[in-house]
Amino acid sequence: MNEFITALTEYTFLQNAIFACLLASIGCGVIGSYVVVKQISFLTGGIAHSVLAGMGMAYFYNASPILGAIIAALVSSIMIGWINLRWKEHEDVLIAAFWSAGMAIGILFLSRTPGYNVDLMSYLFGNILLITRSDLLLMFLLDIVVLAFVFIYYKHFLVSVFDEEFARLRGINTEFFYILLLCLISITIVILIQLVGLIMVIALLTLPAAIANQYVTSLHKMFLLSAGICAVISVSGVAISFGPDLPTGSVIVLTACTAYFSSVIFKQILSTNK
Amino acid sequence: MTNIVIDIDNVSFNYGAVPVLEDISLKIHEDEFIGIIGPNASGKSTLLKLILGLLEPDEGTISKFNHDGKDLRNYIGYVPQHSTFSRDFPITVGEVVMMGHVATSSRFFRYSKEETELARQVMQKLEIEDIEKRQVGELSGGQLQRVLIARALVCQPEILILDEPTANVDMRIEEDIFSLLKNYSEHMTIIVVSHDIAFISGYVDRVACLNRTLVCHNTESISGKMIEELYDAPVKMIHHHH
Repeated sequence: MNEFITALTEYTFLQNAIFACLLASIGCGVIGSYVVVKQISFLTGGIAHSVLAGMGMAYFYNASPILGAIIAALVSSIMIGWINLRWKEHEDVLIAAFWSAGMAIGILFLSRTPGYNVDLMSYLFGNILLITRSDLLLMFLLDIVVLAFVFIYYKHFLVSVFDEEFARLRGINTEFFYILLLCLISITIVILIQLVGLIMVIALLTLPAAIANQYVTSLHKMFLLSAGICAVISVSGVAISFGPDLPTGSVIVLTACTAYFSSVIFKQILSTNK
Repeated sequence: MTNIVIDIDNVSFNYGAVPVLEDISLKIHEDEFIGIIGPNASGKSTLLKLILGLLEPDEGTISKFNHDGKDLRNYIGYVPQHSTFSRDFPITVGEVVMMGHVATSSRFFRYSKEETELARQVMQKLEIEDIEKRQVGELSGGQLQRVLIARALVCQPEILILDEPTANVDMRIEEDIFSLLKNYSEHMTIIVVSHDIAFISGYVDRVACLNRTLVCHNTESISGKMIEELYDAPVKMIHHHH
């Protein structure tokens, strides 16, 4: 641990990694809470995986992969949302189709791109230690976008997520807010991909918020608590993986899982002792 | 004769090939307290959804008349039978009641002083101000019902529609809720769906008996013959003494 703290003062890449964790935790706490209370983690996983299509195309056309990721995430969330609203009874099949089609398109384009893509591996599995200043700036801007929408439409999102029928009767355009929420989720996915990669992004969008859900009575408190939990988990993940040189993304995800199961057991013990 | 607020004219509705409602005509007047009764699967909830505009009739029309010129969004308050939210949703009683303001409230996080004050008054009337900070998932059936009624009242509706408001509560709470509704019905149209004829007939002004078709909608008391016709079987009349 001391070794990590000494290294932290010396190396900019570690400082960047810690900043990345903190920036990611903001989006993760807020949007993860919506994913958990609306129970759409599978759908979120589908959007995350379909991002590969955008990255693959971006590589092929020699464009910015992160831009490709943002566009693919937005397009797939709007498409999934729109089809889902009209075809509700097959939601899980629809997600499976988007999930696999996104990956397949991505791999097709990559197979036609010359050279081996090290960067791509880091988008799949995350490599937080490679994060640059400009990545941090982008994460910061995306956080601002997400927070702005959630802050402006807090009441509308709350009523749409809590009781859709009531929201509709009150004249709220629930379809619009559903698709807007999916878009915010996709932006958060892009923020989190830098940390843990698109394959494991679902862990950070569900587990910290699910832990927080066990201890709060209001959604806005859930935002704060799960952001805090996400920050602790991801920073610990970086610290734990640094010494033995383990893949940081995997360690962060396993830390999140451990924290979640510990919390479930702790809650269980609390309720039996009541 | 008072104003008609809802005019249901020859309405039919099918779920696919299954006819749910046939040829329903019913006029509901201003400040009336009307009970819609009928056995399970008689189309009661469907009729409410048609009135609310959540479903469109296959035939016929439903007209709603707005006599006060109030904001149309505030026209109808609805208390659903089944609350669809999950029990561990992080939301307090106070926050659910405040949701009644969502259509007219400003953007951003805060509610105005007037909005908070109105919600406080409604919660006081419904005797739920003590549980304002509790999470809704922890409430009993009767408490939850009061919270949902409070939320509908915060919308300041002209018409209040309740779907089986006392399905999951015990007798004493059922009486509480209906006498509360009776008070509100002096200056509000209330439509309540129930399967318990004998109980609600003590409170409502008029009963409409529904079993795919409208069997009767009389003001007078219900006879054993009508119930037989409605439920397709002899039913023993139970008299309540209040």
